[in-house]
Amino acid sequence: MKRAPSLIVMGLILIMAASCGKAPSGPQDSGAGSTPPAHDDNRLRIGVMPKLIGIDFFNATEKGARAAAEELGVWVDFDGPVTNDVQLQVQMLETWIAKKYDAIAVAPNDPDAIAPVLERARERGIKVITWDADSKPAARNFFVSQCSAESVARTLMDIMADGVGPEAKYLFLTGSLTAANQNIWMDEMEKYRQKKYPKMQNLSSTPKVSEEDQALATQVTTDCLKTYADLDGIFAITSVALPGAAEGLRKAGAGDRVFLTGLSTPNGMKEYIKDGTLKRFALWNPVDLGYLAVHAAVASAKGELMAGAEAFQAGHLGECRIEKDVIVLGDPIVFDKDNIDTFDF
Amino acid sequence: MIQRLLLAREAVLFYVLLAMGAVFAIAVDGFLDAFSLLERTRYWAIPGMMAVPMTFIIATAGIDLSVASIVAMSGIVLGLLFRDAQLPIAVAAGAAVLAGLSAGAFNGWASSYLRIPPLVVTLATMALFRGVAMGLSKAQPISDFPDGLLWLGQGNIVRLGSDLYLPTPFAALLIAVALGWVLMRRSWVGRFTECIGENEMAAEFAAIGVRRLKMALYAGCGLVCGLAALFNTGLYATAKADTANGMELEVIACVVIGGTRISGGQGSVIGSLLGLCIIGILRYGLEMAGVRSQYVVIVVGALLIVTAVFNEWIARRRGVKG
Repeated sequence: MKRAPSLIVMGLILIMAASCGKAPSGPQDSGAGSTPPAHDDNRLRIGVMPKLIGIDFFNATEKGARAAAEELGVWVDFDGPVTNDVQLQVQMLETWIAKKYDAIAVAPNDPDAIAPVLERARERGIKVITWDADSKPAARNFFVSQCSAESVARTLMDIMADGVGPEAKYLFLTGSLTAANQNIWMDEMEKYRQKKYPKMQNLSSTPKVSEEDQALATQVTTDCLKTYADLDGIFAITSVALPGAAEGLRKAGAGDRVFLTGLSTPNGMKEYIKDGTLKRFALWNPVDLGYLAVHAAVASAKGELMAGAEAFQAGHLGECRIEKDVIVLGDPIVFDKDNIDTFDF
Repeated sequence: MIQRLLLAREAVLFYVLLAMGAVFAIAVDGFLDAFSLLERTRYWAIPGMMAVPMTFIIATAGIDLSVASIVAMSGIVLGLLFRDAQLPIAVAAGAAVLAGLSAGAFNGWASSYLRIPPLVVTLATMALFRGVAMGLSKAQPISDFPDGLLWLGQGNIVRLGSDLYLPTPFAALLIAVALGWVLMRRSWVGRFTECIGENEMAAEFAAIGVRRLKMALYAGCGLVCGLAALFNTGLYATAKADTANGMELEVIACVVIGGTRISGGQGSVIGSLLGLCIIGILRYGLEMAGVRSQYVVIVVGALLIVTAVFNEWIARRRGVKG
């Protein structure tokens, strides 16, 4: 009688422990693992932390980070939490401070919650870079940004103008109305449209919402095809919305009538590019992002990259622009049927 | 007899802790660094505080799975009252602690007066309180707290040496453990708590106010969670609905490793503190040794299973009924 609840609790604990321990498959667990370098090794030690480990996007950034480490002759510890939890990041960073790494490059899950630990790292003389997402600016030395909102806007608008013509009637499909990045991109696109394509027209002043749910994105797209008879094009600007919208177009057989583009990872979009549902879409290159983050971290640790710099030489990427304390990777890549197979993320 | 057994067990835990510390100190470069170790204790304090009332609850053969959700909810109450209602931080903090107390009292009322098993009650409220936190905050983080609150998590209380300070949250943990120890070992609360866990019906016949005491224990647990929420919010400078996610597991693990039997009847607050230190040192040592984070979780999980099985085995051998 009394043993039953205890067995249930033990079972629960086991399940929780097991579910926490699910090891996502990273791209590497060999060779350049995380065994720290030996005592007589004078290489710089750089900690690189993604928002979480085990997803395509950050696996790709790890490739770039390792390539940069090899090129620069530094040792890189690429590790992060298994869920996108900022508190786990904070505790891991605390360990990295104790390990006295020379520089830390982190993609924070929350700009405010990460700030105190980054400030402690800087007090201990560790150079701090943020990448992919920023922290409070005062807590880090530099932010490595994937690309400026302005260049995202320009790239997407040009794709649309090229595909439909300068009088296109279009709609936006976004994640949620509160998604900060997406809102900035849409604002920038509107500014660029007024300047460059004044005859283009947005058919709905509030963007359509997919709530980062692929099935919902498909549904919304199907509905829009019925509601807006004169619709020429759709911008689906999240990596979930774009494949969802593509599925909606394919089901309706409307790939030739409505021109779809947006932002997503190539692996999720290959089938739609190959069957012609959409012609072109864009995203920044995560491999280059990881590569640039390590370059910036190493240069900061060596004292070659100081506050006030206006440009930065980053290996094979060449010269990257610095706006105040933000290092910009550059323009997004445009994927089409000719180049999509060369990318794997 | 039981007293002796527990003392012995706490001693064993202490040797295990020392041995682990020694192994890591020799094998892992940079492990033995007082500054880093003290900094680390900030993160132990929050689950540690919750482990104190959890020890009492598990000693009654109960459980509280909602502790981490109460921390999240109290944190959000604090944040919203401070930011949106513009209340002074002290008032907002008082309200947050009160929210924790009410949440715990509800757990206690439902499990002792409605006689729903605590596992079921707190499994439900674990989701409920987390949901309330999500809903109230619309899943958005709240920050920009004043320095006084940040001091609770990030500040220090006394200087120990040239560059060494005792972190505020760790000092709070030590006070919580001391109070818990007095209640468990030097007052009727601990005696009656263990009686309930040993045999609830017998305790009732012995004229112990079983339902009132159980209710008070769950309410007290909520109160401590409300206090822990203040330290937690200060530590991360942010109130978030998904804070302390999965921390109930860590809290229960500390208590179980500390030798409190999950089937009730005996509890050790000092044991829970040692359990907390063992998990903390193990995690810290493995991380310092460069073990990737997903494997650290596996090792900690394995440790928990081994100790739980070991506990039951020891208890049966010594003829403690269970």
